[in-house]
Amino acid sequence: MDRRTFVKQSLGASIAFGAFMKTGRMFEVLGGAPLPYDLVAVKGGEPDTMFDWGIKALGGMRTFVKKGDKVVVKPNIGWDVSPERGGNTNPKLVSRIIQHCFEAGAREVSVVDHPCDEWQRCYAHSGIEKAVKDTGGKMVPGGSPSYYDKVSINKGKALTSTREHEVILDSDVFINVPILKCHSGSKLTAGLKNMMGNVWDREYWHRTDLHQCIADFATYRKPALNVLDAYYVMKQNGPRGVSVNDVVTMKAQLISADIVTLDAAGAKLYGMQPDDVRHIRIAAEMKIGRVDLENLKIKRITI
Amino acid sequence: MTKFGWKTVRKIRVVVSLTFLVMTTALFLDPWHLIPSKFVTYVTSLQIVPVLLKTIMSGGAVAVGGLIFVVAMTLLFGRVYCSTICPFGTLQDILVRVSRKINHRKRFKHYKAPQWLQYPILAVGAVMAVLSGSMIVGDLLDPFSNYGRLIAGFALPVILLVNNVLAGLLGHFGIYLFYDIPVRIHEVGMLFFALLFFATVVYLSMTEGRLFCNSFCPAGAILSLMSRISAVRLVIRGDLCNDCGACDRVCKAQCIDSEARRIDFSACVGCFNCLPACPTNAIEYANRLGREGRPEPVVFDSGRREFFKNVGVPAAALLIAPGVVESGIVVSSSRQPISPPGSISIGRFTSLCTACHLCVVSCPTNVLKPSFLEYGLAGMSQPMMKYEFGYCNYDCTVCGEVCPTGAILKTDVAAKKLTQIGSAKFNKDDCIVVAKKKDCSACSEHCPTKAVLHSPGARSLTRAHFFCRKSTTNSASDAALVKMPVP
Repeated sequence: MDRRTFVKQSLGASIAFGAFMKTGRMFEVLGGAPLPYDLVAVKGGEPDTMFDWGIKALGGMRTFVKKGDKVVVKPNIGWDVSPERGGNTNPKLVSRIIQHCFEAGAREVSVVDHPCDEWQRCYAHSGIEKAVKDTGGKMVPGGSPSYYDKVSINKGKALTSTREHEVILDSDVFINVPILKCHSGSKLTAGLKNMMGNVWDREYWHRTDLHQCIADFATYRKPALNVLDAYYVMKQNGPRGVSVNDVVTMKAQLISADIVTLDAAGAKLYGMQPDDVRHIRIAAEMKIGRVDLENLKIKRITI
Repeated sequence: MTKFGWKTVRKIRVVVSLTFLVMTTALFLDPWHLIPSKFVTYVTSLQIVPVLLKTIMSGGAVAVGGLIFVVAMTLLFGRVYCSTICPFGTLQDILVRVSRKINHRKRFKHYKAPQWLQYPILAVGAVMAVLSGSMIVGDLLDPFSNYGRLIAGFALPVILLVNNVLAGLLGHFGIYLFYDIPVRIHEVGMLFFALLFFATVVYLSMTEGRLFCNSFCPAGAILSLMSRISAVRLVIRGDLCNDCGACDRVCKAQCIDSEARRIDFSACVGCFNCLPACPTNAIEYANRLGREGRPEPVVFDSGRREFFKNVGVPAAALLIAPGVVESGIVVSSSRQPISPPGSISIGRFTSLCTACHLCVVSCPTNVLKPSFLEYGLAGMSQPMMKYEFGYCNYDCTVCGEVCPTGAILKTDVAAKKLTQIGSAKFNKDDCIVVAKKKDCSACSEHCPTKAVLHSPGARSLTRAHFFCRKSTTNSASDAALVKMPVP
């Protein structure tokens, strides 16, 4: 083979390959293969093991993360408390999700939150910073308004614009990893409430209409995947908690591509009806996702 | 020792002083909080005014060790402290060097050190601290604290700007090695005072050398008193001196009277410039315990006495008067500044704090800010908690860990959590739940003790009752919690 033929052939091959990859991606965006389950519920294992089983049931992380993707994992890192206090997402779960993303071919996995307490102390004491760094992920600072860029929420009723973290805006895949706990203001914290950490100005939500704003934001930001950590579940004094006495060890996990389904199931797992939580009710009314759990395909796994 | 030997000693002195300058500066230029508080304690435990206060009022092995080291060093070798450990001294040396670069013939003429001013300032400061609980002298004149204020007030914002530009540029490429830190400029009044002070010292050092160290500096006064009985001291040997005046020309403290062949060792800052400068090796730095070469006594003539009576006493009274603040433990009035947790009471805090602002730069949530006149004139620029910009992180004890004077006591996390620093007021009419009938509960959400809560059975917060669990006592140990409905 002379040089000219080699260049021609290899050029042609790469163009064909590129086109194949591109169209492959397009099909998925247009609809793709439906997921085998609307919701996966796992119980009885450690946070990381439960995720291994759960994501396997949904067809593995490759269903959600493609080669070369920039992924953002958004746990709850709201408070300056240790993991067993149940105030923040379990670091073991966060690190296992990052591992799955890299195995699926992610170019970069960033982890970010806009904490309520001092951000560096939250990152450190939640154990998440170490878990992320040990797994090769990137811990992105969230404690300064300069990182948050303006976005408009076209379908929002109370929240029509806000400022979201640049690393999330810059990502290909957004994975929402909340922890399940009670909340003095929003009643329950799960997937929808967790995305309040994507934005800078939370006070606006509080002073305007908390539940409506939570639902409004979900019309704009739709996570590719939602993983609800219900290993340690705070049953009182939420969302920060006063001591470990507020927490029960539930050893459960919910996984869904539909954030509203996740929250509806999360509410039931917690011991409430989805209707009891106003932002879940509003999200269902706004048709952001489905709450009719009885009509959905649910995979239950006990480890 | 030979001339060459003394040159080496001088060089070592320069290296040591620059090392201390860099270390002390770093404490105030660490917005990333990388320096462990243990290291901060070690460095600050050698600063004479803070460590003296800490040793007297709260003790601690590191403080006592630091004080013993400085005292022993001074009793043995004179005021070498002023040319090594003191950051403000080194800063003045740099300014002296600059002035000599500008004018090569620069020479500070010998005069009698104004110890008639310096010692009374120290005495007044000590008396005021004991009797009226005012740290005004340490607050205004302590060299370490002034240096800290200068760095915290002017250099730190510059570092933050550089950091933020770097963070912005790198962040653009997805590199988050640096992170953005909001720049907050301190109280303008405080900055103005720091600037005024700095301008004065720049002028003094460039025209008169180390005049500040021998006129106003309380640390200099303490060390000067000790150096009067130092073992190893500098003297000019009459048999070798050829009256060339070379030593006089290089002396920054102006303590060498070359005509009279005398050195006032109580004013000497131990820079060792004169030793290598002497062409005949007539200056000796040797053990003179019990021999000649004692400094002259301080002379107060009647004019100076009158000056003190007429001006000094009323001035001191004026300074004390506005400094009397409510000395209760827990602040109840919104007009009162809030002192940091671990300060026990405002009265105790203001009597011990020299306003170095180390706690201000170390506070991770930026709730500590320099005051201006909130504590009164006598407590000018001592830090207070300002909730407009931040809040006190429940699990954080950093301010007590770094405080060099013990004005903020070091507490463990458990004790800090039980320390009441003030009481919050609930304005029901402004509450979103009451006024707008919407769920909010941000207060209850953030409250780490759930002192603010709503009744658990309520379906919605709009129907909830607010409770405030208020401590009935001021003592941390038996903080009995009782439920009290908020009016």
